[in-house]
Amino acid sequence: MRTDLSPRIKLALYGLLCTLAIPFVFPTWWMVTSSVKPISQIFAFPPEIIPSSFDWSTYADVFRLQPFAQQYWNSCYIAAIVTIGTMAVSSPAGYAFARIKFPGANLLFMVVLLGLLIPSEVTIVPLFQIFLKWGMINTHWPLILIPIFGAPSVFATFVMRQFFIALPVELEEAARVDGLSRFKIFWTIALPLAKPALAAVAIFTFLHSWNLYLEPIVFLTSPEKFTLPQALTQYVDVYQGPMWNIQLAAATLTALPVLIVFIFAQRQFIEGLAHTGLKG
Amino acid sequence: MASVTLRNVKKSYAAAAVIHDVDIDIPDGEFVVLVGPSGCGKSTLLRMIAGLEAITGGEISIDGRVVNDLEPKDRDIAMVFQNYALYPHMSVEKNMGFSLEHRGASKEEIAGRVNWAADILGLKALLQRRPGQLSGGQRQRVAMGRAIVRDPQLFLFDEPLSNLDAKLRVVMRGEIKRLHHRLKTTTVYVTHDQVEAMTMADRIVVMNAGKVEQIGTPIELFDKPANLFVAGFIGSPAMNFIPGTLLADTAIVGVRPEHFEIAEGGLQITVTLVEPMGSDTQISGKVGDTDIVAVFHRRVAANVGDVLSLKPIATEIHRFDAAMGLRL
Repeated sequence: MRTDLSPRIKLALYGLLCTLAIPFVFPTWWMVTSSVKPISQIFAFPPEIIPSSFDWSTYADVFRLQPFAQQYWNSCYIAAIVTIGTMAVSSPAGYAFARIKFPGANLLFMVVLLGLLIPSEVTIVPLFQIFLKWGMINTHWPLILIPIFGAPSVFATFVMRQFFIALPVELEEAARVDGLSRFKIFWTIALPLAKPALAAVAIFTFLHSWNLYLEPIVFLTSPEKFTLPQALTQYVDVYQGPMWNIQLAAATLTALPVLIVFIFAQRQFIEGLAHTGLKG
Repeated sequence: MASVTLRNVKKSYAAAAVIHDVDIDIPDGEFVVLVGPSGCGKSTLLRMIAGLEAITGGEISIDGRVVNDLEPKDRDIAMVFQNYALYPHMSVEKNMGFSLEHRGASKEEIAGRVNWAADILGLKALLQRRPGQLSGGQRQRVAMGRAIVRDPQLFLFDEPLSNLDAKLRVVMRGEIKRLHHRLKTTTVYVTHDQVEAMTMADRIVVMNAGKVEQIGTPIELFDKPANLFVAGFIGSPAMNFIPGTLLADTAIVGVRPEHFEIAEGGLQITVTLVEPMGSDTQISGKVGDTDIVAVFHRRVAANVGDVLSLKPIATEIHRFDAAMGLRL
């Protein structure tokens, strides 16, 4: 922001920014405050912005009603494996598309990108049949394999390719003169320099896996195998009505790692996008 | 150290030929500068010697060994790039020792060689810094350090000074030349700056449109340019080309700006610009449609609009065939 603005204009600008932020901040505020309200207060009119009473038992109920710790662990380890796997697939693929000249490289890249245009709902039934044949239903394998070899990886490959294209080719030529093989150039020169892009890919991929909903409800049947987005829908009363406060307590716990990732990695994330030319 | 031989070397991209039958012999220990305007193919030729660019035809030999199909790492060369190409994530020390490390040298040997190079180039205090923390001149020195650390047979420089300011360029020019005197390693140096070429080279290769126009020592090229292109390219300000009709000659007459005297019976030029430079005076003018630039190593009292009689010094004129542009 320009620093030569008068205090009055600055104040007005901050006021405007705060006002614009309300629609984005309010749902999170509502989620967190409602998680400690009794159900009756959640729908009270006029709504209570600041709860008049705090009922922390909802958080105990989250763990009492479902194997939430197990489900939390499921989400964590699946997202971690998917993130590492996607980086392992997309970085060499992106490098190859950026640097290795082979006939039809651009066409092949376009074909790969086209994968992004196919909605996951279209492929879910054939994928179900494939994983059924492989005996992987009600296991976590589909939730790991589909993102690593599917749309998130394609997007990550695109991000990595854009980064590697922007990397000065002289660095790699210097490495060739220094005696490095193609793989070593990738491993010791290109990849360490791609940290910002890898960070962006890691955040995208982690969030995608963390929020995955369709695949878990198709492939998983036992509560102890569930991941968090699927588990959230299971906090219902005997009439199948949502137990809003408990559900929102679980949602608050679910959102925590995402918030932490964003708070600590936002600079890397923005840098990564800037480097890959995806932003301004 | 090694000799380098290029025989009928060609390069084409699809149907477009960019290097045409280049022949160059570089003896052991020589400092050769490839010079020419942008797009003349000098960098491409250097990259072909390095092995970074495949050659379409001909033969490149280093120390008598044909290297056409050898990878850059197997040619025993070191290259300094225009943008230095230092690895940003490594310290200066690591950058300099990187190639030795990958060639299996011991830690002691790497440290010894890096310290030796750092000593020569005055880099000792910078060894733990990253390239991003260095100035342009320091980066340039690190790039040279990385090249000399391995003691290669051949140094290749691709316009290494073009990213530096004018003052630093002069300093680094001297450093590169001193380094060559000390190490006596065969060097091929690419530049588009003819002053750089003249001051650094043992021999200059003047290139134009993918062809070698002339090879010779700086003085040979300056005194006896083989054709109009070389005559116009070497020397600053450039040589004046005067139609023979103005001087009762059948050829094109070339006169360097410093080879005019103000005397009766010369070309009657109308002064269009006077540039006093302290010790020198540069005068630009016109005779008919022909532009003339003259430099006098003294102060000349002339004003725009004056008519001066400029007479070429008879022993210093160059004559070129009007049809082919070749020296007569």
